Amino acid sequence: MEQNAIYELLAGVLGDGALGYNEHALEPWADVAPARIAEACRFLRDDPRLGFDQLMCLSGLDWDGFDETGKGKSTAILGYTDDGKPETSDRVGTGELGVAYHLYSHALRHKFTLRVRVPRDAATVPTVGGVWSTAQWHEREAWDLLGITFAGHPDLRRMLLDDEWVGHPLRKDYVMPDTWSGVPLQGQPYCANPFPVETGGPDQPAGDQPAEG
Amino acid sequence: MSTHPTPPSDYDVSREQMLDFKVDQQLLQVVDTDAKNFILTTVDEVFNWARLSSVWPVTFGLACCAIEMMATSATRYDIDRFGAGAFRATPRQADLMIVSGTVTAKMATRLKLIYDQMPEPKWVIAMGSCAIGGGPYFKYGYHVVKGVDFMVPVDVYVPGCPPRPEVLLDGLMRLQDKIRGRKGRFIAPKWVTDYAKLIPYRK
Repeated sequence: MEQNAIYELLAGVLGDGALGYNEHALEPWADVAPARIAEACRFLRDDPRLGFDQLMCLSGLDWDGFDETGKGKSTAILGYTDDGKPETSDRVGTGELGVAYHLYSHALRHKFTLRVRVPRDAATVPTVGGVWSTAQWHEREAWDLLGITFAGHPDLRRMLLDDEWVGHPLRKDYVMPDTWSGVPLQGQPYCANPFPVETGGPDQPAGDQPAEG
Repeated sequence: MSTHPTPPSDYDVSREQMLDFKVDQQLLQVVDTDAKNFILTTVDEVFNWARLSSVWPVTFGLACCAIEMMATSATRYDIDRFGAGAFRATPRQADLMIVSGTVTAKMATRLKLIYDQMPEPKWVIAMGSCAIGGGPYFKYGYHVVKGVDFMVPVDVYVPGCPPRPEVLLDGLMRLQDKIRGRKGRFIAPKWVTDYAKLIPYRK
């Protein structure tokens, strides 16, 4: 089934819960109200015309820090000073968070993509783990790395990072800590140079050929 | 290699970063066995010969470098020719830890635990760019330790991403040189010197 027709069916069921459809992207997506996402997913799975029996991927998104060209940029480390210390930013993120759902139907062989957007300070999305149980691990990962809470998830623990980790590292305004649990995380200057730097002099002085033997 | 050449006055600091080398200075500073007396020299040499002839690594693969480590222990390269083929499943039977891959913060705590469980004497080879200095995760890797030498002392650095099995074998032989208590001998291959000449000394 064509993607437009899938969205027509979905919008007919959701009503004002369907917020829009972008058909010009490489992989067209439908925006859905966050409160209605579980209902939309259940409809997409159970309707015999759609039959989306697999959730291919569930991804957390962070729309913070986009410039005018539409490119996102991390603000965790802006650059490095001359002595190798990273420059960090204390900018507080303002952009929205979101979740993307990539669906596939093995029987009918068509795809569809859903998106929800939630405000950054109240990032809560209903879980779809009751529709596809594989979503539970994906939602744990989105919680782990982006801090998106999934209401109704039975076991919302960290997936990849340690349980004692503080913060959600894939948020654009995440600042890398110096140490974690006694483990240093910041890098040093990659190779300390024992020689002072001066300017001027010949291009290739004699006596500095690579050592051999 | 025994003395460093005098650096030119306009030496560019970023050259060493571009070279991506990290020279193990300790290899140049190992003790001279001839300086000891006759008895101790002989006993030490026998002990060291036994140690370097059967360096048992702990089975410890972290990332893609571990694939190269497995290839090194397989028949084509056969690390067993150098006595280091007995990969032990417990650190208590091992002498050598080949840190083959990215050391994440979560793994670093376990790595320290495994290193502490190994009996003395023990050695560490940092294999690959990630274990040496964080590699591609140096800038934005919030979860990566920027070099395993922050956690445990490293004897030999084996650069590469990942290093070929020959290079790991060469690192093992340099470690054996170090155990033997003699100065390591490193002859840079031609492509290394050719590449090093391409990088300008001056900005």
